[in-house]
Amino acid sequence: MNENLFSSFITPVMMGLPIVIVIVMFPSIMFPSPNRLINNRLISIQQWLVQLTSKQMLVIHNQKGQTWALMLMSLILFIGSTNLLGLLPHSFTPTTQLSLNLGMAIPLWAGTVITGFRYKTKASLAHFLPQGTPLPLIPMLIIIETISLFIQPMALAVRLTANITAGHLLIHLIGGATLALMNISAPTAMVTFMILILLTILEFAVALIQAYVFTLLVSLYLHDNT
Amino acid sequence: MPQLDTSTWSITILSMIITLFLVFQLKVSKYYFPEDPKPALVATPKPATPWEKKWTKIYFPLLLPL
Repeated sequence: MNENLFSSFITPVMMGLPIVIVIVMFPSIMFPSPNRLINNRLISIQQWLVQLTSKQMLVIHNQKGQTWALMLMSLILFIGSTNLLGLLPHSFTPTTQLSLNLGMAIPLWAGTVITGFRYKTKASLAHFLPQGTPLPLIPMLIIIETISLFIQPMALAVRLTANITAGHLLIHLIGGATLALMNISAPTAMVTFMILILLTILEFAVALIQAYVFTLLVSLYLHDNT
Repeated sequence: MPQLDTSTWSITILSMIITLFLVFQLKVSKYYFPEDPKPALVATPKPATPWEKKWTKIYFPLLLPL
């Protein structure tokens, strides 16, 4: 039962070929690139959504932080589209892989920290010591702040992995429970089915929200450091 | 937990880096954000009155019979 439950999270390999490359690149097909002066409706709608999101997200940044606009927009598109496509039955969701999320979180977080160190060394080091701390507490507080800084990329990666994985697992479990209950008592199966529908709606929201949260936090770390 | 099997980590991270940093950014960089074209202020010239359309010798100030 354990093996069966987690089998959808194994990196897909078909006859020895790692098709995970194709699966990770698949969501980019959903975003055709604009080639003409007046594009079709799909491209126009996507372009409008990207403009809306970028205006919302970049308003807190100064000139230096706004150079990250392309990175943040492609990040939110990648995570959002990957999460939404993972809600299809029998599909593999790359963002359930801790490797992928760590590979996203660590370079982006390190980029913001190194940017802060290069351009505002004193100010970024000053983040380690909040204002007005009593003198004996300073060494302990610096240790705590360092730990909280280094835990940021881990938290980013694990948050995304755990949320999406937990959602998929719940859908598997409750779907299996509905199927098993259908032969035993139909009304209970109906109740379980209602729970499944509500959960699926929640998962749609979670898919988008997790993308947003990831990108927002990266943008916050950027804001602290530019 | 199959996510902790590190043998597949390198290929996953590599494909993610290609997708996120290459493919998606190439696509999003092709989006154009329309600039708001503002009309340039053109000074509207005064319409020429009929007697100003033609310059005649009479109006040379140094040639006026005074």
